[in-house]
Amino acid sequence: MSKMRYNIYTVVFAATLGLVCALLLTAATQVTRTKQEENKKAEEIRNILTALKAPFDSQAGADELITIFERNVVEQSLGKKDPLTLYVYKPEGSDEIVAVAVRFIGPGLWGPIKGFLALEPDYKTIRGVTFYEQEETPGLGGEIVTEDFCSRFEGKQIANEQNEWGVDIMIVSGEQVGVNKISGISGATMTCDKVQEMMNAIIETLAEKRGADGR
Amino acid sequence: MADKNACMTCGGRGGLCGGKGIATLKEGVWTNNPLAIQVLGICSALAVTNKLSNSLVMGCAFLFVCVGSNLFVSLLRNNIPHRIRMIAEVAIIATFVILFDQFLKAYYWEMSKQLGPYVGLIITNCIVMGRAEAFALQNPPIVSIVDGVANGIGYGVALAIIGFARELFGSGQVVLGNLVLDLGYWYTPNQLMILAPGAFFVFGVLIAFFNLVKGGDGEEDKK
Repeated sequence: MSKMRYNIYTVVFAATLGLVCALLLTAATQVTRTKQEENKKAEEIRNILTALKAPFDSQAGADELITIFERNVVEQSLGKKDPLTLYVYKPEGSDEIVAVAVRFIGPGLWGPIKGFLALEPDYKTIRGVTFYEQEETPGLGGEIVTEDFCSRFEGKQIANEQNEWGVDIMIVSGEQVGVNKISGISGATMTCDKVQEMMNAIIETLAEKRGADGR
Repeated sequence: MADKNACMTCGGRGGLCGGKGIATLKEGVWTNNPLAIQVLGICSALAVTNKLSNSLVMGCAFLFVCVGSNLFVSLLRNNIPHRIRMIAEVAIIATFVILFDQFLKAYYWEMSKQLGPYVGLIITNCIVMGRAEAFALQNPPIVSIVDGVANGIGYGVALAIIGFARELFGSGQVVLGNLVLDLGYWYTPNQLMILAPGAFFVFGVLIAFFNLVKGGDGEEDKK
């Protein structure tokens, strides 16, 4: 009987401890939720602004970033069905479109990769690329977030020499000369392939939504 | 219960509570430093010490978790069923780690991003578990807190030393908030120090220093 009671005690103890810990953590998450979501939003905004090459203070806090974003960037929906959100950069006080960014999401090697692709107003030349979520192998695929890799996209085109648009970002090894070819990361072939795939997918969608006159 | 009274008055334990407290403190920080002497918890120590600021935050996280888990394990030490004591310890440790992680994510986003998974990995840090199992489970709460603080400081200071050396030699300057210590233009930053091998070099020197000052190399002490 005493063994039985000990067993029951063990189960009750474990359940109580589990419950107390769970309650504590739930409370902590609830308390910090708004702040955390704000930080996440700010992180996204920081990436959009970086891709668009919109100037901002790198020390800026979440509130400041959201203000800068709201003043300079207009969100536009493109297409009627499953609209694509375009982040249009119009510096405050001017009506001129300086750049346009789209979000791309796709599976990476280990987890989802999310990023932004910013284009010049010609919708053809890449202005900037950033990645804001990834779980690639640190030191290899994880290098996609580095400025070194992201800057390789700048000035490249999202169409090939024959002007076949939409499907031709190529991340390949070695120094690249083609207008749509970007030097990849050695040791991270899989990640590069997947990034290439998801970027081409968004470029294709963008082309489709903008219609044939987009060329 | 008698045990608890012994803590408050420190009678029956061969000395004052403060006496044991200081011995415990000295052991955690110096003679039995978790990192430099016991060489525990080096996974996170190698990973986050590329910058002084990261090391300090990691040290704080560790201190908070170690004190919290030691206190609660000690409070529950007479109630935890022996069979599930380790699971109970891990549950307590994990709670404190996640609390700290949530706090970082909400108020120190940049830092949380830089430390990445390593804050969460404090759960598996063998020092915290070791202190709970080896100390808090056998000692009253107040001394257990002292032990947690001692190990937290011991670990944190060791991390800070490694972080300082790596950042200084790896990037030529140490930045901590608004304070900047710059080596100047004559120094060419050695990238290796920021990478994993740099941590091993500094860590080795740290262990050597501890053994040199403490006398003996620990192995001899055992004989």
